[in-house]
Amino acid sequence: MHKSLQSLLKWLIPFVLMPSLVVLSSFVFRQKFHLFISFAAAALAVLLFLTGFERKNVGTRRLVIVSVMTALCIAGRFIPFFKPVTAITVIAAVYLGRESGFLVGAMAALLSNFYFGQGPWTAFQMLSWGLIGWFAGALAQPLQKSRAFLLLYGVLSGIFYSLLMDVWTVLSLNGSFTFPHYLAAVATSMPHMVLYAAANFLFLWFLAKPFGDKLGRIRIKYGL
Amino acid sequence: MKGFAQRNPLAVTLYFLAVSGIAMFTLHPVITLLSLCGALLLFLVRNGTKEGKSHLYFLALFLLLSLLNPLISHRGETVLFVLNHNPVTLEALLYGICAGANLLSVLYWLRSFSQIMTSDKLLYVFGKFSPKLSLVLSMSIRYVSLFRQQAAKIAGAQKALGLYRENTLIDRFLGGLRIFSVLLTWALENGIITADSMAARGYGCGKRTSYAIFRFSREDALLLSVTLLLLLLTCVGMITGALDFSFYPAVSAAPCSGISVGSLVSYGILAFLPVIFEAKEAILWKYSLSKI
Repeated sequence: MHKSLQSLLKWLIPFVLMPSLVVLSSFVFRQKFHLFISFAAAALAVLLFLTGFERKNVGTRRLVIVSVMTALCIAGRFIPFFKPVTAITVIAAVYLGRESGFLVGAMAALLSNFYFGQGPWTAFQMLSWGLIGWFAGALAQPLQKSRAFLLLYGVLSGIFYSLLMDVWTVLSLNGSFTFPHYLAAVATSMPHMVLYAAANFLFLWFLAKPFGDKLGRIRIKYGL
Repeated sequence: MKGFAQRNPLAVTLYFLAVSGIAMFTLHPVITLLSLCGALLLFLVRNGTKEGKSHLYFLALFLLLSLLNPLISHRGETVLFVLNHNPVTLEALLYGICAGANLLSVLYWLRSFSQIMTSDKLLYVFGKFSPKLSLVLSMSIRYVSLFRQQAAKIAGAQKALGLYRENTLIDRFLGGLRIFSVLLTWALENGIITADSMAARGYGCGKRTSYAIFRFSREDALLLSVTLLLLLLTCVGMITGALDFSFYPAVSAAPCSGISVGSLVSYGILAFLPVIFEAKEAILWKYSLSKI
């Protein structure tokens, strides 16, 4: 019972609970509540995932490799303009599984924001990078097989990241979510979106093969 | 006897969650003003006139937020003037100023929070809730500086080997990639060895302990209970609707009552709590100095 409840929650939170809370908050609740509720929803989703991770019996080796990948993401965020964070998250997720992917993305957002500035957006960044990692882990087999699909995934996750962060921009500026405002925010962040997508494409192009080989080698050598 | 920053990390974390959470939750102008003053005062008390750059950055953000809202939102009934066939309203301007000040106060709170909560304190708090996560957090923080050192070593070795000496863009790019590749192999192997060593020493066999010993003193208990009490009193005002405030279509507030004044006063005390703690310390220090 306990196990099945956990696995149910694992699917329920990212696909049902989260979106419905965000959608509900923009239609039902009073003005200032949207920002708070979407912030709470993002934080809750990340938190629930992490408690699930806490209960799981994960080996020490995997934990340490996750920390290594997270540290690489954080270090990569210091590169100006072209950030390899998403690319490294995707690669980690493809080779280590979806939980590790989520963890790498979310932790990289949380920790690197200690250098780049914490704010209410931290929860949104954690969620969007975490989800990018989670989906990459879920699609691990086709992503490993087809390079074109991997690059496409990189481009799409750049767009997804930008679109999700625009939701935050609209909420924080306006207190409520309206479609015209969202379109305006998307239009103003278009250059960023292109930059994200291009950076993901380039880094996946250059890093995917050597990175994957090395992770694969480690897996064989130490039997992860 | 220590100031606010040296209080137990759990109490400090709860305080920051309470004070910035309420500020995020409500858009009441008085709450926003109290929160902004408290946050700014704490930041100034801790940093003095340094950090001018971040003040400038925050100010620019505030101006952007407050002036952008009347340009994109045309709700409200008092029209100030018409711009490109779009009415610019007083309500939207006031809303923008209030929302901007609100965000500004939260940013100041968070800035003070990350100054006070150094990574050892953060791990102490995280370790209470989630040992595995705090391991990932602490190792990642440690790895960032470790990787930087190792990358410098690898670069030195590469130079000694005579590789990539030319200072052209392509050479530097290829050199960077090579260093990254070497670093990655090293980092992964080193990670596995670290993990095996940890397992051999019995990691995960018992409860996780942390190096820093934070005692929970009487002052900590005082801070914790006062924070909880004031949070509760403010929440009463929010739940009963005594702190309701709306900007559209016209600026209107809930009628002034005992509850609304009471919750505003308690939030005011909450917002200035750290400064009160610091001031008490400063006075005690001055007093004991003058006695000598």
